[in-house]
Amino acid sequence: MIPLSWYLIAAAALFCIGLFGVLSRKNAVSILMSIELMLNAVNINLVAFWHYHSQIQGVSQVAPQVFVAMVFIIAAAEVAVGLALIISAYKRRETSVVDEMTLLKG
Amino acid sequence: MTSETLVWLIPLPPLLAFFLIVVFTNRNKALSHWLALIAAGLSWAISMVIFGRAVRTEGLAEHPIAQAIPWLPTGTTSLNIGIQIDPLSAVTLFFVAITVLMIFIYSTGYHNYGQPAGQHDHKGLPPEGAEVEDAKGKLVKVPSIEPMYSRFFALISLFAFAMFLLVVTDNLLTLYVGWEIMGLCSYLLIGFWYAKESARKAMIKAFLTTRVGDVFMLLGLAALYTLTGTLNYQEILGNPDVLGQLAGALSPVLGLSWAALIGILIFIGTVGKSAQFPLHIWLPDAMEGPTPVSAMIHAATMVSAGVYLAIRFFPLLSVGWEPGAALTTPMMVMGVIGSFTALFAATIAVAQNDVKRVLAFSTISQLGYMIAALGVGAYAAAAFHLVTHAFFKALLFLGSGSIIHGMEHGIFHTHEHVDPQNMLNMGGLRKKMPITFWTFLIGGLALSGFPLITAGFWSKDEILSGAFKGGQMGVFITLALAALLTAFYTARQITLTFLGKPRSKAAEHAHESKWTMTAPLAILSVFAIGAGWAGIPEDFPGLGGLLPNWFEEFVGSMLHFEHAEAVHSLVPLITSLVVALGGLALGWVVYRGLQRPVDPLEKSLGGLHTVLKNKYYIDEFYQAAFIRPANWVANVFTYKILDQTVIDGILHGIARFGVWLGKGLRNVIDLPVVNGAGDNAARGTRGVGMYLRSQQSGRIQQYMVIAISLLVLAGLVIYFTVGMS
Amino acid sequence: MDFIEKHLLTLILFAPTVAALILLFVPGKYVKAFRWGALAASIIPFALTLVAWARFNPDPNPAAPFQFVEQAAWYAAINASYHLGIDGISLPMVLLTTLLTPLALLASFSIKERVKPYMILFLLLETGMLGVFMSLDLMLFFVFWEVGLVPMYFLIAQWGGSNRNYAALKFVLYTMGGSLGLLLAIQLMGVAVGSFDLVTLTEKWPTIQSLAVPIGIPIETVKTIAFWAFVIAFAIKVPVWPFHTWLPDAHTEAPTAGSMILAGVLLKLGAYGFLRLVLPLFPVEAQRFAWVLAALAVAAIIFGALGALAQNDFKRLVAYSSINHMGFVVLAVAAAAYTWNTTAANTLLDKNLALSGAVLQMFNHGLSAAGMFFLVGVIYERTHTRDLKEMGGLYAILPVYGTVLIFTAMASLGLPGLGGFVSEFLVVRGVWPIFTAAAALSMIGLFFTGAYILKALKLVLHGPLNTRWEGHLTDISARELVVMAPLMVLILLIGVWPAWLLDMINRAVAFLF
Repeated sequence: MIPLSWYLIAAAALFCIGLFGVLSRKNAVSILMSIELMLNAVNINLVAFWHYHSQIQGVSQVAPQVFVAMVFIIAAAEVAVGLALIISAYKRRETSVVDEMTLLKG
Repeated sequence: MTSETLVWLIPLPPLLAFFLIVVFTNRNKALSHWLALIAAGLSWAISMVIFGRAVRTEGLAEHPIAQAIPWLPTGTTSLNIGIQIDPLSAVTLFFVAITVLMIFIYSTGYHNYGQPAGQHDHKGLPPEGAEVEDAKGKLVKVPSIEPMYSRFFALISLFAFAMFLLVVTDNLLTLYVGWEIMGLCSYLLIGFWYAKESARKAMIKAFLTTRVGDVFMLLGLAALYTLTGTLNYQEILGNPDVLGQLAGALSPVLGLSWAALIGILIFIGTVGKSAQFPLHIWLPDAMEGPTPVSAMIHAATMVSAGVYLAIRFFPLLSVGWEPGAALTTPMMVMGVIGSFTALFAATIAVAQNDVKRVLAFSTISQLGYMIAALGVGAYAAAAFHLVTHAFFKALLFLGSGSIIHGMEHGIFHTHEHVDPQNMLNMGGLRKKMPITFWTFLIGGLALSGFPLITAGFWSKDEILSGAFKGGQMGVFITLALAALLTAFYTARQITLTFLGKPRSKAAEHAHESKWTMTAPLAILSVFAIGAGWAGIPEDFPGLGGLLPNWFEEFVGSMLHFEHAEAVHSLVPLITSLVVALGGLALGWVVYRGLQRPVDPLEKSLGGLHTVLKNKYYIDEFYQAAFIRPANWVANVFTYKILDQTVIDGILHGIARFGVWLGKGLRNVIDLPVVNGAGDNAARGTRGVGMYLRSQQSGRIQQYMVIAISLLVLAGLVIYFTVGMS
Repeated sequence: MDFIEKHLLTLILFAPTVAALILLFVPGKYVKAFRWGALAASIIPFALTLVAWARFNPDPNPAAPFQFVEQAAWYAAINASYHLGIDGISLPMVLLTTLLTPLALLASFSIKERVKPYMILFLLLETGMLGVFMSLDLMLFFVFWEVGLVPMYFLIAQWGGSNRNYAALKFVLYTMGGSLGLLLAIQLMGVAVGSFDLVTLTEKWPTIQSLAVPIGIPIETVKTIAFWAFVIAFAIKVPVWPFHTWLPDAHTEAPTAGSMILAGVLLKLGAYGFLRLVLPLFPVEAQRFAWVLAALAVAAIIFGALGALAQNDFKRLVAYSSINHMGFVVLAVAAAAYTWNTTAANTLLDKNLALSGAVLQMFNHGLSAAGMFFLVGVIYERTHTRDLKEMGGLYAILPVYGTVLIFTAMASLGLPGLGGFVSEFLVVRGVWPIFTAAAALSMIGLFFTGAYILKALKLVLHGPLNTRWEGHLTDISARELVVMAPLMVLILLIGVWPAWLLDMINRAVAFLF
């Protein structure tokens, strides 16, 4: 058996990489990709817990599966919308570097 | 009708006439003067009835005709006012009533009733004459009627009311009321022709100078009322206990007894009203008024009221004195002031050229005689001279009015521009104005004390003998000298005016006055001759004893002590003969045959004459010593310095301080602290907001970094604080 | 009828206010309605006062000196009630007020602009003045005292002369400043005694030994401070020298009717305060400081007369004459204060004479001052100048006016035979044994009074006719004569037969304190 903690650490590492990417990448699409990484890290977490939990319980649960499916779906929808937004913003600003989109500057 | 009721009625007709004229008959000249004349006549008639009854009453002094009513509620009692007719007021009533009536009649003629109105006459100025066509169609100037005719009669009626009130009343307060109302009438009548600057000045001078005397008198009145609880004559002056108390109590002023102090205060009122030195300055200027005014107010009645008051209060002024004893302080004061004034005024009269001015100073001088007589204790003599003087002085003044009218007539005729009142322009009027001449001569001789056939002789003689017998040599000699000068200036006046040749064309064409003016002159001259015979002293060589000395008996009964008979040493008699006849002769000699309108005394007396002519420059002295400083105190000190600079300065200072304080507080507290708190709170908030705004970079990733760090921080905090427990 | 009798004073007091409220609803353009309406409204209190006069008991009970008493709860929490009553001192004052107000309103017929607020303010002013004279409760007194100030301020500031803003402000600030101390002292006394009722206070306050609140100052000092607070407030109103400088400005700049009421009644509020409040409530302190009051009164008499002599503005001259006349009132009050607890019959008589003289002088001065100010107004309306040097010789073209002026001027001068002399004589007689030097010095003022009156007469009436007026001036009109006639008749009546008024005053002052 692979211990649960390994999966969790892997997921955390993935999450941190994703987080790092969100915080530091210049390109908007890269940020989106990093967000996907974070989401998938969460998925890994969820699946790992599902797996171990159903093994301990002996009953396989549906809820986590549903949860993971929801995360997939939302991630997909979000990427679609996000890409559409980025393309729209790119068309306006000729750039996809996030640091240059500072309309919210006070 | 009872005597009391009649006496109450005496002052009323003129008062009623005054009201009626002022309110109703102002526009109608005839109605006005008839109202006044009827009123004066009524008062005269009632006065004569009362006088008749009074002389027939035995012991009138102890039991006068009297009646009183409560008037002023004072605490639980009241001050009563009423009437009192005793010998003194009876004889005063006699001469007042007659002279007033005569002067009223005279006034109708003097103010040219019946003449046309002048074309250039203005109210407030003396009438200047009217141009009319005479029989031949030529334009001639005739005297015009006085434009303010009715007003004159209204005012003299009010005056008559006040004088009658003063004479019939029984207490000092009502006397003071009459006194002051007369002062008002005198003021209004002196300034009758108010458009003349000299008249305006004279009216104020008269009022204020007499007011000086009046305020002192009011103090004396208040003091008397306080000490005795009454102001009634009988209760004070007829009551030896009260008088003794007043004489015994010491006042805080100069160690005088209260009787002496009150006496002197009341006497100061007399000094003002009767124009004695030093308050004499108003009387000569009062000649600005029409001549009837001068006659009535300033010769016969108002100035006599001052002497009347002094005579009335003689018991108070002389309390503790007996004939032969030392004079009391008030008597000494009266003696000094009276005799000094007599001589002083006589010297000035010698140098005056205006016919009325001479008479004015003569009046001052004669009043001084009366005061001096009282001062030496010659009570009856003073009263006697009061009566006779009223007659002949009124006569002389009315005569002077007639002279002036005659001269004005001449001026109208000849169009000469001379002063109708200047005696140097007259002369020879004897031929043109005979009635005026003879009556004036009688009056003048009476004034000088021409022996035997004039009233003035008897009364003046009494005074001189009173002074002599009392051993008051200073007074005696002064009065004798004054008598000499009196005769001198009288003869001067008569000679300059009537004798010799006319010295101006106007005098040549003078004209006798109407009967309304000359009839009163004639009637008064009868009294000027005959009034003296009521008081022939009993030990007079020859005539004494033929007629009883009725006056001395009647009026002398007012005093309570047995007065020694006027021992007639021949010295005073001879003195009065010498000075009278000598003075008359001297005056006639110096001035007879004067050709040019220049006074020969001017050259012979030189500088002294100028001083006399300018009345010793006393008016100028008063102006510098009193009037200018008083004006300074009022205008500069009180108003500018005290009120505007000091008091208002303090107020404005307080106001400025208040404004400064307010501004200061505003700048120190309101603006920085109160306003500041609110403003700074807002600014601070804004500042924070601006700062925070600057922190909004618009870069999402930065936001997220901050968000996540804070989240982690919070998580750690929660984990270690809450989670650990 | 019974209702009227029971509430006579309230009716007199509030009739003008009710009328003012009614007039408030009349549109402003009906000028005649306002004039006649206000006049009619002011006659009602006058008629009621005559009723009160007729029903006044001439022989009052010393234990209950006030008549027509009305009492109702007002501020029960602090024991201040609505307490009205009059005695022989306040009834003449009420009569004076209700007499002068209709005359002043009649004199105001010449006001042309903003007649509506003018009339309303005047009626409110009347209520204020009447309230002061009638109230027997200190809080009520103070309320009406202040109520009298505000309409006067507006009357001066809105319808006054060229310097009206300064004058109105000076008047209201100065008087209100004085009332500050008055209010504090009233509060002090009300709290100490537990009631603001005057009758109660008169019994209890003079003998009070300690205050309910521990302040740490001895009671004598507290009473002295309260005394001076009262005195300052009233001294400013009377006015006593040196607090008098507001008067010339206020009187000169006020409209004619305003001056009539100011001089005629408002000054008497201060003197009344002295008589009704200061003397009965602070007899000991008043006696101690009587000499100060006497000295200031003499200063008022003398400097008032001298100040009047210095004036060339007719109205200002009359204003200063008010200071002079009111000085006599204060002098009498001071003399009475000095002898408050005497038992000697002579001194009691002196005190009573002085107080009678003071009240009568208040009445007389009200009449003559109102008359003089009105006459100044008459000439001002015709010549549009108050400068005496510009007039001259007007007697020739205005004979009736001239006669009326001479009469009123002589009343002001105190000519015997007219009212002013009786009161001044009583004052001098009463003060002479108590403050002899003061009485003697006041004669200086009397002399200079003659001087300035004659100056005014000379410059206005006598002299050559200043030709610029010839043909341009009309003599006094019938309406103006109707205003002057009651004043002249009363002045003459008091001068010739004072008993009708003096009797009532005489009896009342005997129980005053």
